[in-house]
Amino acid sequence: MSLILAVLLAPPLGASSLAILVRPYRRFVGWVSTIGVALSLAASIALCTTVMGAGPQQEAVPATALWRVDALSALLALCVTLVALVAMLLGQRAGHPDREELARTRYFWIFTNAFVFTMLIAVTIQNVALMWVAIEATTITSAMVIPLTRTKASVEASWKYLLICSVGIALAFAGTVLAYFDFVATAGEVPGALNWTVLRGAAPSLHPPLLQLAFAFLLIGYGTKAGLAPMHTWLPDAHAEAPSLVSALMSGVLLAVAMYAIGRWKAVVDAAVDPSFTNRLLMGFGVVSVVVGTFSLVIQRHYKRMLAYSSVEHMGLVSIGLALGPLGAFAALLHTMNHAVAKSLSFLAAGRILHRYDTTEIGKVTGLLRVMPWTGALFAIGILALVGLPPFGLFVSEFLLVRAAVVTGRFWVAGLVLVLLLTAFTSLVHHLNRMLYGEPPPAVTVGERRDWSVTVLAVSVGMLIVLGVTLPRPVAALITQSVRGVIP
Amino acid sequence: MGGAFSQLVMLGSSGMLLTALIVLWRKGVPAYITAYRWQSWLLAALTATVGYYGGDGQLYWVAALLLGLKGVAIPALLRTMQRRFGTEREATPYVNTEVSLLIASVLVVFAYLLGRPWMALTQLPTRQGLPLAMSVLFVSLFIIVSRKKAITQVIGFLMLENAIALLAVVGTFGVPLLVEFGVFLDALMGFLVMQIFIYHIHDTFDTLDVDALARLRH
Amino acid sequence: MSRYVVLVVQPLVALALAPGLVGFVRWLKARLQSRRGAPPWQPYFEIRKLFGKEAVVSHTASWIFRATPFVVFGTSVVVASLVPLILVPASPLVAGDVFAAVYLLLLGTFFLALAGLDTGSPFGGMGASREMTVVALTEPTVALSIVALALSAGSTNFSQIVARTIAEPAAALGPGHLLAFIALFVVTLAETGRLPVDNPSTHLELTMIHEAMVLEYSGPYLALIEWGSALKLLVFLALAANLFIPWGLAFALAPGALAIGLASAIVKLGALAATIAVLETRVAKLRLFRVPELLSASFVLALLAVMSTFLVR
Repeated sequence: MSLILAVLLAPPLGASSLAILVRPYRRFVGWVSTIGVALSLAASIALCTTVMGAGPQQEAVPATALWRVDALSALLALCVTLVALVAMLLGQRAGHPDREELARTRYFWIFTNAFVFTMLIAVTIQNVALMWVAIEATTITSAMVIPLTRTKASVEASWKYLLICSVGIALAFAGTVLAYFDFVATAGEVPGALNWTVLRGAAPSLHPPLLQLAFAFLLIGYGTKAGLAPMHTWLPDAHAEAPSLVSALMSGVLLAVAMYAIGRWKAVVDAAVDPSFTNRLLMGFGVVSVVVGTFSLVIQRHYKRMLAYSSVEHMGLVSIGLALGPLGAFAALLHTMNHAVAKSLSFLAAGRILHRYDTTEIGKVTGLLRVMPWTGALFAIGILALVGLPPFGLFVSEFLLVRAAVVTGRFWVAGLVLVLLLTAFTSLVHHLNRMLYGEPPPAVTVGERRDWSVTVLAVSVGMLIVLGVTLPRPVAALITQSVRGVIP
Repeated sequence: MGGAFSQLVMLGSSGMLLTALIVLWRKGVPAYITAYRWQSWLLAALTATVGYYGGDGQLYWVAALLLGLKGVAIPALLRTMQRRFGTEREATPYVNTEVSLLIASVLVVFAYLLGRPWMALTQLPTRQGLPLAMSVLFVSLFIIVSRKKAITQVIGFLMLENAIALLAVVGTFGVPLLVEFGVFLDALMGFLVMQIFIYHIHDTFDTLDVDALARLRH
Repeated sequence: MSRYVVLVVQPLVALALAPGLVGFVRWLKARLQSRRGAPPWQPYFEIRKLFGKEAVVSHTASWIFRATPFVVFGTSVVVASLVPLILVPASPLVAGDVFAAVYLLLLGTFFLALAGLDTGSPFGGMGASREMTVVALTEPTVALSIVALALSAGSTNFSQIVARTIAEPAAALGPGHLLAFIALFVVTLAETGRLPVDNPSTHLELTMIHEAMVLEYSGPYLALIEWGSALKLLVFLALAANLFIPWGLAFALAPGALAIGLASAIVKLGALAATIAVLETRVAKLRLFRVPELLSASFVLALLAVMSTFLVR
């Protein structure tokens, strides 16, 4: 287990260090990073199989250990490495860049690798305070990459991102300290006191009002990082202004990692307080996020911001799912996985569109199917997947979510979600139509070669279809076991 | 022992709150940097006090680290930044001074109300510092939200980190050393990155007025 | 018996000391500014001179103008009998309520503001409106500082507050006490017209607050008002000193205790007066729209004092 863990974590760290050392940037650094992430992906798949093999009673790791991988961690590590691999594969650009672009590329590889590394640490470490440290580190590393091209908009976006997320994370730390304070007041200073397994075990003897307060802080803090409304204000700016590779990572998996943190804490707090408390909070924030995300989609004029607001909406759905008991948690986790693939696909395609059209406005991008047939098709598939159309995976997870809502008796949530999904569907498809058809602008070159980036993205589409049409048995089993990480 | 210890902790925590209020009261950035410096020194002194009375030697190291990093290094960096960009005066903030101070007092009351269940919970001699730490937290949040200069926002954020460190020291007599180091590293990295960003902002916008950072709308 | 001593003798002592206090502040300021300055007993001569002069009253003034000096003087004298200056009466039967004292002083200020408006002089009206602004902002702070004290003592009666502080000196060093003291000190500066709120020695009418209201007064009326203002300063300083640092106050009618009480009062008042003098040399007058900032800051301090005292209970 520890060997696999080392193979999981070492490559991104190594690649980042390599990128720091190699000066000026050489192409092989990019390749090393990509191969490294592929290794991490293999390691995460191995982790999944190990975790599944050990069965539900996987207690081989002592409670005071630093690292611990259960099904939930393995699932998220899988998502992170998968999206990272796809993004990095698309990051290998041909051609002879000039010196400034060389410096930027070097920067990009240093911080993106560090970013992936910190995300992986966050999902595999057992100590909640160190998990916090890792998540704060993700803010810092990703913030460094956003203003890669020093424009006014990107500097503004990254400043807002850094400040708002750092404030949110600081509040999450306050929540962590509160919970730790409660634990120490009850049980004294035990080594490994900050491990979430120990906390969960001791939870029934902790004091409910304190844990409720702590959870409120944690939800607001990590919720800021996850893009839950009303703390989402940094999200459209940051995700739109970042280079699309980084946006894919941030939108696809970083938000999921933040929701993972919330899920872990929910498990701890639920053991002490009646679950209806956390459920109500999560439901509230989730519903607000879905509403805000959907309505912002209607009046959008920039396609990358459109995708960003869609992330807000989907994270809201995940939050609602977490609040709906085991069935809802299953739907939420499945949705996380589907969303990671679909959103990264969409952002990467959007990046190619930006590169060709040189504008971010929906109105100025026309005739996409004629100008870039492959990318246009991929982008369209991504958007259609995001609105929850079958045969793509998000349809299944959204269906399961609504079903969970109905089964637990929350009809109004089911109805609201359906209405909002319909609204999102209409607006997104409307924007998509404007982009796909029509006359291409005169300044844009028409036609596209089918290079291997397209192939990589097509593989993502394949994954989405597979997840949607037949949920493979191992994946379903993995997710079922992960649910136990959130709902004991 | 209990009496002097609690008094000292309460004095130190109140001092930290007062330094946070100074940022709301005064109008010059050098005053803010001095207030932050005093706050960090108070925090280091408090940590050492808790280490002395609590019998935990590790906290001395933590206090030394706090002093070096937050009491000396960061204020020096802030002063260099401030001199470089010539941001002497904080422009009229979003909320004026009197209303800011009143809102701060409301936040202090709110923090005390929130802190009541805890104080009843524990028998720690430092328990009176808990609501004060929460007050500093809320006041720092308010500073970040209501001030216009990027440097002031950074100072507000640094005070927020101080507040959380105070919360950890007072509530739990410090968190494990490993965590402490991790948090320090994060704080340092965060500050350095913010510093880099202030240079970016100045380069791109020619001003440190956060008002100028308002192009991205809906 | 001690009640009557307090009621009669204390105000007399206060009346005797008050002009000396103002003179001392002026003299110390002058020395700090490297001037020789008038001797500290100069105000006594000024008051005597004013009593000998004729009072000139405007035709348009009403009875308020003539009554105000007596109200100001009278309320100051009454409050001087309530405040613990030398002797704290053993029984709480004397109306030694802190609120009563503060609001009696406010009555005097109110009449002074009316008198400023009464003559129809523009400077008087200006001074009156400014004074009312300042007072409106200081009143909550005063109330809160008093509440901070009263909370720990369980009563707003002077003797009880003083007794409590003497019984538990550790509480006196608490942050609540300190904050309330600072807040009350700032309020003193504001209510008695000292820098940085108001310059008492200015001759520029547009910068005046208190002086502008009394511009029209002359002769005995002016003497009464000057004396009353000096007495107000003494009363506020006595409040600040003896509520927060009550050691030295006499509790019984023994001549030894009374002598100690008088001596300690003089020492404490002198120390506070010296602080005022140093402060006045150090700071400049605040522009009028900055005064609310200072007063809000003192309000927040008083609020914090209440919060921390509330908690310690």
